Amino acid sequence: MAARRLGSPASRWLRPSALLFLVASALLSAPLPARALRFDLESGHTKCVSDEIKVNAMAVGKYHIVGPDPNFPDAQLPESHRISLRVTSPYGNSMHYAENVQSGHFAFTAAEAGDYLACFWAPDHKPPVTMGFEFDWRSGVSAKDYPSVAKKGKVDMMELELKKLEETIRNIHEEMFYLREREEEMQDLNRRTNSRMAWLGFLSLGICLSVAGLQLWHLKTFFERKKLL
Amino acid sequence: MARWRPAALLVVALAAVLSAARRADALSVTVTDTECIHEFVPYEGDTVSGNFVVVDHDIFWSSDHPGIDLTVTSPGGNTVHTLKGKSGDKFEFKAPRGGMYKFCFHNPYGAPETVSFYIHVGHIPNEHNLAKDEHLDPINVKIAELKEALESVTSEQKYLKAREARHRHTNESTRKRVMFYTMAEYIAFMAASALQVLYIRRLFSKNVGYNRV
Repeated sequence: MAARRLGSPASRWLRPSALLFLVASALLSAPLPARALRFDLESGHTKCVSDEIKVNAMAVGKYHIVGPDPNFPDAQLPESHRISLRVTSPYGNSMHYAENVQSGHFAFTAAEAGDYLACFWAPDHKPPVTMGFEFDWRSGVSAKDYPSVAKKGKVDMMELELKKLEETIRNIHEEMFYLREREEEMQDLNRRTNSRMAWLGFLSLGICLSVAGLQLWHLKTFFERKKLL
Repeated sequence: MARWRPAALLVVALAAVLSAARRADALSVTVTDTECIHEFVPYEGDTVSGNFVVVDHDIFWSSDHPGIDLTVTSPGGNTVHTLKGKSGDKFEFKAPRGGMYKFCFHNPYGAPETVSFYIHVGHIPNEHNLAKDEHLDPINVKIAELKEALESVTSEQKYLKAREARHRHTNESTRKRVMFYTMAEYIAFMAASALQVLYIRRLFSKNVGYNRV
């Protein structure tokens, strides 16, 4: 793996929270298998990925440029292949910004619930090249780094695995509650739309009849004034 | 290779086995023409499962929405799985070989669509692996199977959440359009009626000559 450049503004985000730093360093030091999703980026273009993160959930992300041919991942990377990244929160705050780097990482705790957008863009090259980059973005329960928890607590690997399963089950349980709540909201919305449509239908009939009545009355008085009736 | 103690070997084997079942997160991309995502499948025979949902932008008539196509290509270049014209579906297939798989979303129409997708690669160590490595406990196979079952539940939940989001989007759009069209209908109605009255008055006005009627 090429030497990582950590001189990005991402390190500013890590200092306030020691836990975040521990997680990020564990992620970097642990020999992880290839877990990331790989995207292609043409020079001069932008590629955006968004993820919905709940409030107070931790999100960690790692990205690095790889060779353009997925079958030869160890090809030499030219120095001019660089990407820039900006991660924005649903309200528009920039959570992470890196310009013209070959790799980087970020971690933050979501203060707002909603869609977080990570946008990559590449500077223009002449001739235009297609760069590949790997992006690993995890939030919520998958952001928790268990190997560091294991090292700290000296727990058995099997126990760790069962702990992970328990955490997954708890997450599923919470997610079901969330889905149920959303479905209830939507049912409420549908019911309100239904009643509003019924009310508007009656109003439409009322307007029709009243406009017809107004017409008749107005024309009657008009013709009586003109002494035709 | 240096001789490792059995405990360290067990730890390494466990780590290799248990970390082979990876978990991604449901991500969204905007597909204007074609978007390709590559995912690494470590072993042959791994089950690759996933789902995608197209979150509609402003579509007036549902028959207008053509859906998008998904094509999964193996590292050898063969098409492993195809889905055409779907606005959301689940897929699952067994990887014929290990390597980098390509998932391509293709939007046949120009309007950009946002696609929320989730891909999961699951690996269950089978008897062959057990026989090769005597430190691999059979209970780990069961734990891996449990993990895979839980992953399928999580995957289904993400699919349902994405569909619910799209459903809600459609409902809110319907509600806004109903209000707008009803108000427009009232205004058009009253305007037509006023025009009627004005026209009839004009027919009877002095400068036109009412004996024409």
